[in-house]
Amino acid sequence: MNRSGIAPIRIDTVLRENKLMFDLSRLERVSACLWEIPKSFRDDMRVPARIYSSEAMLKEIVRDRSIEQLINVATLPGIALWALAMPDAHEGYGFPVGGIAAFDAQHGVISPGGIGYDINCGVRVLRSSLKKEDVLPHLRNLSRTLFAEVPSGVGRGGRLAFRGPDLDAVLVRGARRMFELGYATEDDLAHTESEGALPGADPAFVSEQAKSRGHDQLGTMGAGNHFVEVGYVEQIFDAEAAEKLGLCADRVTVLIHTGSRGFGHQVATDHIRVMNRAMPRYKIELPDRELACVPFDSEEGRQYFAAMQAAANFAWANRQLITHEVREAFRKVFSDGALSLVYDVAHNIAKLEEYRIGPVSKRLVVHRKGATRAFPGQPVLIPGSMGTTSYILLGQQASLEASFGSSCHGAGRRMSRTQARKDFNPAALRDDLAKQGIVVNAGSGRGLVEEAPLAYKDVDAVVNVVHEAGIAKKVVRLRPLVVVKG
Amino acid sequence: MRVTGATLEELFRDSLLGMVALADPVSSAERRALRREIALESGDATALLVDFLNEALALMHTDREAYTDVAFHSLAERSLQATLEGYRAESFGEDIKAVTYHEADVNRAATGAWETIIVFDI
Repeated sequence: MNRSGIAPIRIDTVLRENKLMFDLSRLERVSACLWEIPKSFRDDMRVPARIYSSEAMLKEIVRDRSIEQLINVATLPGIALWALAMPDAHEGYGFPVGGIAAFDAQHGVISPGGIGYDINCGVRVLRSSLKKEDVLPHLRNLSRTLFAEVPSGVGRGGRLAFRGPDLDAVLVRGARRMFELGYATEDDLAHTESEGALPGADPAFVSEQAKSRGHDQLGTMGAGNHFVEVGYVEQIFDAEAAEKLGLCADRVTVLIHTGSRGFGHQVATDHIRVMNRAMPRYKIELPDRELACVPFDSEEGRQYFAAMQAAANFAWANRQLITHEVREAFRKVFSDGALSLVYDVAHNIAKLEEYRIGPVSKRLVVHRKGATRAFPGQPVLIPGSMGTTSYILLGQQASLEASFGSSCHGAGRRMSRTQARKDFNPAALRDDLAKQGIVVNAGSGRGLVEEAPLAYKDVDAVVNVVHEAGIAKKVVRLRPLVVVKG
Repeated sequence: MRVTGATLEELFRDSLLGMVALADPVSSAERRALRREIALESGDATALLVDFLNEALALMHTDREAYTDVAFHSLAERSLQATLEGYRAESFGEDIKAVTYHEADVNRAATGAWETIIVFDI
């Protein structure tokens, strides 16, 4: 095998590390964990921008352009109440990651940039019948078996290929299609956001290129920050809520984090192109082209929403098929594949929801980009970085009034992948994790260091903000034992 | 990726080859040569470049192709017709998922050279 013989080209990577990108003194404090940039800050803002954060964490957020991006979001047509950022916010493409924006369904827009390229990137958590002491002697075997069972890494296809009507059935029925094929239980569907299928999906608005990119990607994890992680319940904050979720001290859990793979990326790319061409017709002018958008109630808006829902269903089918693979791995190692789904949440998605705005109830297109739905009583899953803890919370009533029923989605990056590659060494990182009792199986050393714990914010601090703000309440904290990634 | 070119054609060509180099294609010793025709229209030069790269990227993903050159039959700020030349790759070392508009701005520097930044979603 030879590497390509392409003539070398000088490539300068563009970094802005270690500069403060926003003047903190321009923020007004609303409450202990909430800060506001008033509408008067910039002429084109239609609503204020709000940031949920502790005072200490604000210093992390202003290290990149996430606040400038949030202000840009506040200029979009039809935006309701505020543009919101959660404590895990960091710079994204157009919208910040860790951002929420809701647009009037009648007069507002839909924007792929407010959802992200990886449509319905999300996370699910499973609980096993095993306790920590049952799995400790088998960590290496479990790690190897999971790595073999769950295809991961760049360009790696899955065991199944779906084409034509078979793929369309997945796009329309999502996780339910996996149930029909024998890869899910009714209980799995009952514990998945939207039962793993959005009803407005229409494969007719998905390009052949997207279908071709996705045809063999179901049941695959991909690379980047996606992972399968085995852990255990390290701490219980709310015993009653934990019991309802079937969780007790030392109970072994599995987190699965992945999305719609290349399929979702191609759907986003295709429709951003369509929107860029359509915007002049709708007289939409933007401060950043990654905010490309069209009226939700327009032909282009309806088509993107239908395609986005197809990609969301693809992602739910993907996480469901990976769940089947993880069960197979547990069966091989422990002769017990009993893993029950606690819950599955999307954190890159747009949904039509109803909220009270002043005296009236309005239908809003809620964009969550790196943000988790946190409806009252709903489990909210917040994975930390590899080597740190993760949390399960329960959404609270206050989320409906304060954050369009949304919470943070993870620790949030504090360092670019490029910077992490420069700062960390794979061997040292593996050693460090091994000292903490964590077995890591990663397809590439480069991919491993990009996800080093120090490349992320402190997940405890992030979760404490949403807990203290009353958006979601802490139930349990999970500690990793095995991390498998592409 | 920061790209500069004396001409628009050079900017587009080097952007394509830079993207392929970042994708890190792996091939067998015996490469099968291939050609691809592309025709695009976009709103301006920045959109045209992003669309051009995304079109090539989609082909790289769906047909496992890596490109070594491009011949432009026509190239203006809003449209192009081109033939991509390359070979079938067995795999890629880096997963470039999308070409974004983040910081992209095709413009002429004071020196007269064309330049832009291209940020890839990886």
